Amino acid sequence: MSEMIQKPDSNAFFSVQDIHSYYGESYIVQGVSFEIAEREIVALLGRNGAGKTSTLRTIARAHEPFLKKGKIVLNGMPLHQLEAHQAAQIGVQLVPEDRRIIGGATVEENLILAQIAKPIGWSFEQIYEHFPRLAERRKQQATTLSGGEQQMLAVARALARDLKLLLLDEPYEGLAPIIVREIERILLEVKKLGITTIIVEQNAVAALKLADRAIILDTGLVAFDGSAQEVLDNKELREEYLAI
Amino acid sequence: MGIINRGTIHLTVFALIVLTFPFWFEYTGGYAGLDTKIIIWAIFALGFDLLLITGYLSFGHAAFFGISAYATGLMLLHYSSNIIEAMIVGVVVSTIAAVIIGFLTLRRTGIYFSVLTLAFGEMFHTAAVSIFSGLTGGENGLTGLPTPTLFGEKMQGSNVFYLCAIFLIIGFYLARRITRSPFGLMLKSLKSNQTRLEYIGINVQFYKNSAFVLSSIYAAVAGSLMVIYEPYVATEFLEWKTSGTLVIMSVMGGVGTLFGPMIGAAFMLYFENVASVFLEEQWLLALGIMFMAIVVYLPGGFVDGYKRMMRHWVKKNQA
Repeated sequence: MSEMIQKPDSNAFFSVQDIHSYYGESYIVQGVSFEIAEREIVALLGRNGAGKTSTLRTIARAHEPFLKKGKIVLNGMPLHQLEAHQAAQIGVQLVPEDRRIIGGATVEENLILAQIAKPIGWSFEQIYEHFPRLAERRKQQATTLSGGEQQMLAVARALARDLKLLLLDEPYEGLAPIIVREIERILLEVKKLGITTIIVEQNAVAALKLADRAIILDTGLVAFDGSAQEVLDNKELREEYLAI
Repeated sequence: MGIINRGTIHLTVFALIVLTFPFWFEYTGGYAGLDTKIIIWAIFALGFDLLLITGYLSFGHAAFFGISAYATGLMLLHYSSNIIEAMIVGVVVSTIAAVIIGFLTLRRTGIYFSVLTLAFGEMFHTAAVSIFSGLTGGENGLTGLPTPTLFGEKMQGSNVFYLCAIFLIIGFYLARRITRSPFGLMLKSLKSNQTRLEYIGINVQFYKNSAFVLSSIYAAVAGSLMVIYEPYVATEFLEWKTSGTLVIMSVMGGVGTLFGPMIGAAFMLYFENVASVFLEEQWLLALGIMFMAIVVYLPGGFVDGYKRMMRHWVKKNQA
């Protein structure tokens, strides 16, 4: 199956080509391939354990899961050959679901840290203009922010870097509905900026509202790749893979 | 803020305290010579704090203190009594060792890192008293050193004190600059979330190594000055006890505060030398009890205690 989807010499802005990755001995991502055009927003969906977060972490070149085989190419750069910090330097920004912020540092210090490695993106002025709440709390310890504000800071920190590919892991996880709406508003704004984004989310409906396209994973493989609208329209597909 | 900001005031006050130290120290029961020793240990502890802020607890910093001391001693003994070459060689040799040991030990974190550094430290101590005993003088230490000189001037008494004081003031200035820069912020953040830092493009391994080497340079300067202060290299410089003393000083004074470890160093040496007059051999027991009390009731050390007192005082005055 992966033979069919795989396009070894992809010209796409971002492509994942037949990646296989492992958590220790467990074989999690079992040959995932897809392409993303510049400025496109893709929702990576699937049931628990389908390999969504693992795919995302593999792309960000996290220590775990370990990529054994396959290529990841961003703008002609071979991500699969890089380490996490190098991937971040060429523009991949992962906003992980847990531990979103750096403890012991203030809001502003979190942003300063994001701009230590070159190249950098938005200036502080731009960030504070878009996130006035962060401007109000710039001197506050980042750990004392609410969950929604922490998520906001994590997104702002990604924008503080020269961002080419934004990876959002469960951005709505564990947030109150009112905060979810606020984050939604922020992400819609990010969407307007035209940043290529992959969003992993349990809450498929919320993710599909943002996304142009959806990729559904099942047991470590791509089960569906099509428009977001198609998923919303296709009841069978939703029932089989997303249980919604 | 102009030129006179808080940083300048802190530094000026600090420099004044250090430079006038010998004049008021004797009124507190101290004796000449102990002041120099305190300054040297303060340099050692100050540099160690630059590593501690990253959350890495080394039990092997005696290695860099000792290696530098031996290298300085050997230079004084075999090359020339001029301290410039001796100090440079001491610091360079020690820094090379730190680069290698840092590279090997910083792959691990927490207790594994501590144990690895302890093992490396002890390795150097064992090597110095066994296979290298021909060079190092073995268990007797390196003796028979000439009186060190600087531009023909004999480095004794207050000359040594002011040499060390200058190093401490420069060292403090640099440490302050480092901790207040984005680089320092990065070092402090290593403690909280290394993975997160990697995701924002930071080469964590590089910064960890930098902190380790930086702190070792302070240790090397201190080790070298110790030999200039007292032209003799004791094997205990390399021993784990030296590393342990450094850790105790830092914890008692207040880790990550720069001032704390220096105060810790002063307190401990003062206590050892002055209080032991009354307590004799029991001073270690008293120190142990104090150390435990601080760890349990004042985890931030003396500096934390001072801050709490100030807060209490401010509150009381407001009420």
